[in-house]
Amino acid sequence: MKRLLAVTLGILTAIGGFVDIGDIVSTSEAGARFGLSHTWVLLVGIVGICVYAEMAGRVTAVSKRPVYDLIRERLGPRIALVNLLGAYAITLLTLAAEIGGVALALQLLSGAPYLLWVPAVALVLWLALWRVKFSTLERIFGLAGLSLVVLLIAAFKLQPDFSEMTKIVPPPGENWPTYFFVAIALFASAMTPYEVFFFTSGGVEERWTPRDLTLSRVNVFLGFPLGGLLAFGFLATSAAVYEPLGMRVDTLGQAVLPAGLAFGQIGLGLVILGVFAATFGAAMETSLSAGYTVAQYFGWSWGKYLRPKQAARFHTVVLVSILLAVAALLTTIDPVQLTEYMLIFSAIVLPLTYLPILVIANDRGYLGDRVNGRLANTLGVIYLFVILAAAVAAVPIMILTGMGG
Amino acid sequence: MRLLIGFDLLDRQIVDRDGVPVGKVDDVELSDDARHVTALLTGQSALGGRFGGVLGRWITATTGGAEPRRIPYGLVALVDSAVHLSIKRALLTPPALEAWLDQHLIGRIPGADRAEG
Repeated sequence: MKRLLAVTLGILTAIGGFVDIGDIVSTSEAGARFGLSHTWVLLVGIVGICVYAEMAGRVTAVSKRPVYDLIRERLGPRIALVNLLGAYAITLLTLAAEIGGVALALQLLSGAPYLLWVPAVALVLWLALWRVKFSTLERIFGLAGLSLVVLLIAAFKLQPDFSEMTKIVPPPGENWPTYFFVAIALFASAMTPYEVFFFTSGGVEERWTPRDLTLSRVNVFLGFPLGGLLAFGFLATSAAVYEPLGMRVDTLGQAVLPAGLAFGQIGLGLVILGVFAATFGAAMETSLSAGYTVAQYFGWSWGKYLRPKQAARFHTVVLVSILLAVAALLTTIDPVQLTEYMLIFSAIVLPLTYLPILVIANDRGYLGDRVNGRLANTLGVIYLFVILAAAVAAVPIMILTGMGG
Repeated sequence: MRLLIGFDLLDRQIVDRDGVPVGKVDDVELSDDARHVTALLTGQSALGGRFGGVLGRWITATTGGAEPRRIPYGLVALVDSAVHLSIKRALLTPPALEAWLDQHLIGRIPGADRAEG
């Protein structure tokens, strides 16, 4: 049982990357408009994040340093500051979206408007981060998020056109630029940088040593594919229900409805519980990551394993980030739309995050004989090119398609 | 011990004897003949000094103008993926911003002195 619970870090990290609120809606939208023709992007994203999270986890287990700590050493303080600003912007936008997402899930359950829920959600989030043990949080939300598995069963019941999985073309009536825009957005969210920062900082919180190398790998190779599979659940159920009707998906309510169609109230209840856990988990992941990145750039003491007094600057960054997120939401900006803007920052941050990880993973000074093998390097370099291509294409395609409109 | 200052020391994490982060090597102090490192300098004012310009002044300003903390090189026990000190963090002067936030914000919240779970 303890072994089983030890993989919840990977599961929670992956859920925060693949099925946070922005992804839930945009993946469902992709399914409604393009059917299963983006399945390959999810696969490419899963392999990519596995390759780099494995490297990052190995670096952390062997050197006992979270990867963000090492990025400034390799990029120098100036370029690392550019990375920090971009990474912080992505993390903060996502955090705001997640708090809004939890509030939206509560609106679905209670009927009360989500803006009323926002301050309460933020307060509970902060209290959880202040008082509750890291491993407890990780277990509760990692495991509860798994109730989204109901979507996969629903997908088989609803029977989308599975033959579309092998078609890498937009369906009739849709154009290529929009198809690519959606593909880049799905890929970028699979590779969101805060995943590796959170995963490796979590490894340090749990005091990984070189003996935990296997544990890190099990977390990576179980957690991330599982996260990707849950995203596929949203894609497939939406494709089954909305594509034939020619409907668009732009709210959380529409994204969870197919599970209700498949299994009635139980299905709907399970998927809302899963969305609640996934978005709350992602809110924890992003608020801690905001603190982790700033503290690790400046070398401040950080982490939940210390008393808050011993990491006052870290806890201040977490607190201020949550307050900023609430302030952003109270402007009544649509939380689901918020994460779409993160794509602009991803274009800058993704290359500046994954290049240094690849360099460090080849450095014997940190890793001794645990440096990258040929497979990890080949895949690492291929993915670096994919990331660069996506980064270069992101902003022009975004303008060309009016954000996928 | 031979070290490349730019590669092995600058921007590396300093941790105390228990592995708790102390700061980054934001700058170093050299002996008069510039052949030895006499101390590590840590804190945003040292980092801001390296940046220079407006950005450097902004980074320095986050400390409220406090001098960088000086850690004599004799306290360094080992340099690997981090710079390990031979003493506990509590024996060093706490960073100005950390102390101020502890006193005025974080330390005032109930539970600030409680270890995890």
